Amino acid sequence: MHAPQSPPGYPDVPSSFSPPDPPWSDLVDKLRSGDPSGMEDLYRIFHKGIRFQLFRSLGPQDVDDRVHDIFLTIAQSIRKGELREPDRLTGYVRTIVRRQIAMLINGAIQTRRTYTGLDTLGALSDRRPNPEHSAIAHENFELAARILNSLSRRDRDVLIRFYLREQSSGQICLEMKLTETQFRLIKSRAKARFGELGRTRLARRTIS
Amino acid sequence: MAPQPDRHIDEAEVERYSLSVLPEKEAAPIEEHLLVCDSCRVRLAETDLYVEAMRRAAGLVASSVEAAKR
Repeated sequence: MHAPQSPPGYPDVPSSFSPPDPPWSDLVDKLRSGDPSGMEDLYRIFHKGIRFQLFRSLGPQDVDDRVHDIFLTIAQSIRKGELREPDRLTGYVRTIVRRQIAMLINGAIQTRRTYTGLDTLGALSDRRPNPEHSAIAHENFELAARILNSLSRRDRDVLIRFYLREQSSGQICLEMKLTETQFRLIKSRAKARFGELGRTRLARRTIS
Repeated sequence: MAPQPDRHIDEAEVERYSLSVLPEKEAAPIEEHLLVCDSCRVRLAETDLYVEAMRRAAGLVASSVEAAKR
C-alpha cells in the first residue's frame, strides 16, 4: 500500500503509524510516573497530528518550536494529574493544542494593538504561500472556474451556495427543491471533474 | 450520526470541517481523529485545496452573474 501523499503546501505526513486502540492508560501511567519512554511514545503518536494542526492554523513559521512547547505542556500537565480519565487523552491533547493556538493568535492581536503599524499578526500566521503553492492554487482556481462555468445554472447555484455562502445541505435542498441525493451528486460530479482535469493537467506537465 | 474519534472522517464531514462550518460538538471528535490518522490528514489537506479553489471561483462567478444582471 502506498503512503498517503500530502498536497503541495502541506507538510509531509508519511504513513508509518497506525493509531493504537484506546485505552491510553499505559501511556498516561508512564507520563505520570516520569518514565522517559512515555514522552517518546507521546511524541511518536501525536507529533504529526499536532504539527499538522499548528501548520494549518498558524502557517509554517516556528512550527517545530511550537510543537515542542506543546509536548512539554502536555507532559507536565499530565504529570501534575490534570488528566483524570486516561481514555480521554486525545480530547485532552486536542484541548491543549486549541488553547495554544488561541493564545498565540490572541497574543499577536494584543501586540498589534499595542504596536499599531507593525504587522505582527502577519508574522505569526505566515500562511503566505510559496511560489510553487501559489502557482498550484492559481491553477486549481482556474480549474474550479472552468467547471463552474460549464455547469447548468441550477448546479452552479448549488455549488455557489455551498462553497461561497456556506449554506447547509438542508437549506440548499429546501430552497432549491432538491433531494439530498441530487445535492450530493451535483457536488461529487464537480469534485470528480476537478480530479480528472487535475490529472490531465499533471500528465500534460509530465509529458512536456 | 455524530462523528467518532476512532473512525475515519466521511466525505461530507471533511468538507464541512474544511469550510469551518461545523459546530464544536461535531468538530471535536474530528480533530481528535486527525491527531492520530495520517490518511484523514491527507484527505483534509486535499479537501482544503479543493474548497479554497471552489470558494474563490464561486466568488468570481457569482460576481460576474450579479454584474450581468445589472
